[in-house]
Amino acid sequence: MNANSDGMPEYARIFVDGLKEAGVGLVTALPESLLKSVYRLCAEDPDIRYIPVTNEGEMPGICAGAYCVGSRALMIMENSGIRQASEPIARFSFRSAIPMVMALSYRGDFGERNFWGHNHAQTMEPMLNALRIPFRYVRRVEQIKPAFVRAFAHADASQWPAALVFSGECAEGVDYAAD
Amino acid sequence: MRRIEVIRAIAPLVTPEDLLTTSLGATMDDWWNHQPADNALFVGTLGSVTTTALGMAVSMPHRRVIAIESDGGVLFNLGVLCTLGAERPANLTVLVMDNGIYESIGGPATHTGRNSDIAAMAEAAGCINCRTLTAAAAVGPAFAAMLDDGEFGYMVAKIEPGAHPWPVDKKKPTDGVEDKYRFIRYVERLENKTIHGGAQHY
Repeated sequence: MNANSDGMPEYARIFVDGLKEAGVGLVTALPESLLKSVYRLCAEDPDIRYIPVTNEGEMPGICAGAYCVGSRALMIMENSGIRQASEPIARFSFRSAIPMVMALSYRGDFGERNFWGHNHAQTMEPMLNALRIPFRYVRRVEQIKPAFVRAFAHADASQWPAALVFSGECAEGVDYAAD
Repeated sequence: MRRIEVIRAIAPLVTPEDLLTTSLGATMDDWWNHQPADNALFVGTLGSVTTTALGMAVSMPHRRVIAIESDGGVLFNLGVLCTLGAERPANLTVLVMDNGIYESIGGPATHTGRNSDIAAMAEAAGCINCRTLTAAAAVGPAFAAMLDDGEFGYMVAKIEPGAHPWPVDKKKPTDGVEDKYRFIRYVERLENKTIHGGAQHY
């Protein structure tokens, strides 16, 4: 994994720069290991209002409230979190057509060495499909910035959630899945 | 005290400049009949009434934001209390209508109807200005003070079971999508900005 001179992974800097370029001022997350540098950067950045939560079910409301008053917000979670967040996501989308954009780290990508990570992968796509959430994989750093721009455009135009799944060069400890 | 008395006490204190979220169930009809303005987003997601207000409050620190919660809604997502306790948005006031039962589905007890104390949990979670009120006469002055103190506030109103019997033509007639657009367009006018624009046709 490429890192900047301060030791910060390159993907994390680009991730946060991409958020700002996409107009995101609010980030809410349940911190986990695969995007750990992103959470640290968000917490330290004076231009980002960062709200860590106790479980993923808190985040859809925070993002829905932000959207309805005209603020761009991003929720970040490990892919297992979509299970916890599914109930409020379903209510906000199917009941009220409120868009929201989520970034998932891809635990369990092809080559996963931890037995406990595989259930996250096995349920991720079925959960996203059940919720009818369009999603794209982001595996290379040059994909990060355009992915954010497209995700927010897609969510706003469709008035529906959109998701980005980060792996490969764009997460930590999953270099084996960079292709 | 009854829920309708609490609504009557706070409705005159909420201005068109304020933004609200309300819990699902009978509170929607109560609020609709007392202040039918589009500055209220009727959140139909148990456990997300306060988080939605939190998202509004941190996005609009210049505006007062109010969440009208329920005991069932708070208990559904107790971790929110810790997030509120950590964030303490100065422009957010939470009012919990605590009747101790799940009234909308027939009346089985919630855990506040047994041993749980929401205001005590909120305080232990780091929330400030936590109060429990049991008398209708105290609600208005206490709520007004919370709105104006420039700090986060968390009020629990212990209410009796019993929804106000609004006739069918007085019940809120809108669905979730219409509620969203009414609220968004209201905020657009209030803030003179575009939240959701039309298609660009190219």
